[in-house]
Amino acid sequence: MKETPHRAWLQDLRDSLQMIMITAPELEIAVLVLGMVILMVEAFATKIDKRILAFAAIAGLAVVLVASFFVAPSPSPAQATGFWNFYTADRFSIFFKQFALLTTIVVLIMMTDYAPVVRSSFPGATPQAGLGEFFALPIFTCVGLMYLVSAIDFVFIFVSLELVTISFYVLVSFTRRNPITLEAGIKYLVLSALSTAFLVYGIAWIFGATGQTNLHRLTQALANPAMNHSAALLGMVLVLVALGFKIAAVPFQIWVPDVYQGAPTPVTAYLSVGSKAAGFVVLLRVLQPFLLLPETKRLIILIALLTLIYGNLAALPQANLKRLLAYSSIAHAGYLLIGVVCFDVRAVTFYLVAYLLMTLLSFAVLIIVAQQAGEEISDFDGLARRSPFLAFAMLIGMVSLAGVPFTAGFLGKFYIFYAAVLQRQIMLVVVGVITVGCGFYYYLKVVRAMYWQSAEKSDKIPVNGLSRFAISALIISTIWLGIYPQPILDALKR
Amino acid sequence: MTTLGDYLLVSGILFSIGFAGVMLRRNLIVILMSLELMLNAANLSLVAFSRFRVDPNGLPNYNAQVFVFFVITVAAAEVAVGLALLVALFRARQTTDVKDISSLKF
Repeated sequence: MKETPHRAWLQDLRDSLQMIMITAPELEIAVLVLGMVILMVEAFATKIDKRILAFAAIAGLAVVLVASFFVAPSPSPAQATGFWNFYTADRFSIFFKQFALLTTIVVLIMMTDYAPVVRSSFPGATPQAGLGEFFALPIFTCVGLMYLVSAIDFVFIFVSLELVTISFYVLVSFTRRNPITLEAGIKYLVLSALSTAFLVYGIAWIFGATGQTNLHRLTQALANPAMNHSAALLGMVLVLVALGFKIAAVPFQIWVPDVYQGAPTPVTAYLSVGSKAAGFVVLLRVLQPFLLLPETKRLIILIALLTLIYGNLAALPQANLKRLLAYSSIAHAGYLLIGVVCFDVRAVTFYLVAYLLMTLLSFAVLIIVAQQAGEEISDFDGLARRSPFLAFAMLIGMVSLAGVPFTAGFLGKFYIFYAAVLQRQIMLVVVGVITVGCGFYYYLKVVRAMYWQSAEKSDKIPVNGLSRFAISALIISTIWLGIYPQPILDALKR
Repeated sequence: MTTLGDYLLVSGILFSIGFAGVMLRRNLIVILMSLELMLNAANLSLVAFSRFRVDPNGLPNYNAQVFVFFVITVAAAEVAVGLALLVALFRARQTTDVKDISSLKF
């Protein structure tokens, strides 16, 4: 490949930074320390404006994000780089660490917008009660996500998955005076703990069959034809139940609509992007050893078909936008599962990046509009006149989710279907294309409300500077990746 | 002499009882207890597999036994959050019955 002058300059900077030597595990430790410092400040400096904590967290995570570009990845994914044999720092995991950091930064920006709602849910207490923890908990979730994408041992996968899940328990039910939120929190807790039990039991059976918890050594053990595969398959199915819960695949999706609707909106956005992306990374890593067994592939094709059909059909009659996005999140899990069936890591990665941009964009607009009007689709009537900027942002989010050309969402679907055609999974492609048609109907319903319906109120909706910046950046990158996807495709190859 | 199969059978029965409890019982405290039962059934399997998988030196494979400690710790954290939520629910609605928390519907 020809080196452009720009690349050469970056390479020089990289070389000079090799002196400082940042290694991958230090990124997580930096984020962890940041979270603890913010909790300490919140505990001891009671007089300050709590929003400062959010801005400090955003700045801190941005520094770690920049630093992560100077980490030298380990050459082979099989090579463990830290924590004995638990942790790998290959290109794939560093890319998803950046993904987790970016998601957390955008979610924290949304949380500053959402702060008035949190404040109003703690009546009688001091004016800023609860806000400090609300800003600190996503940082710990981020640590969990970052560890999770590097985990190559079942013990480590379990521990980091639980770090993510337990901080989500608290986040989902954070505004607990609201009965709907409390209900969502309890449903999430019970079903999530159930999936954890399946995960541990599955790991036990895989260990029993192979004597290994390390994924790399597991591959070697499974390649041995003398081994009894049925116990390992039982374990794999149980683990798949737990991961299906995380990625919201049918039939483990029952919690999704209720929890997405009831949770505080920034947390819903975080759940639908961060938790799902990490679930898919773990799924790709865990499935790799089991792909030798033909039963695995058939099972995932079945799950993908069910998820596609259920997610898209159930989204059709929804009138609440948050609930609509929940069903859309199930539908997108279906498209991603097609990529998993074909085991095309680049297609899945690109789709996840596109999904991050368009979903966070939709939720960012939803949070601002919901505080002025509401979460129903009818509350978006005439948004184009009340705030052309927000309406345009929502338009880009919706057309990208639907998969209109020249948006990131279209190319994401294109790469997935292309991989499926190459592997001759015609059934999946046919069902996929039909359900995309379904998607057009319910996403464009929102666009119709914004541009063709007249509004009851006509007052303008204000957008503060930081959110305007974040939303603009998301719009630009959604369109940019729809036209020029090369940077993401290169990021894993380089 | 107790064999590996006996331990796995007991563990499987415990796991099923726990699963049935989560699915069928309506009281949240009982559901949390059933979840703990499921995790402990999995722990029993792990320890049994570890004990019966002896390497050439005559030592069991300790990986799974260490994993059990992680599971116990995480389960404790999970229950701590779960009970806190339960107290919040009881304060708000004076109930711990899952039938009473069904305001979110399709």
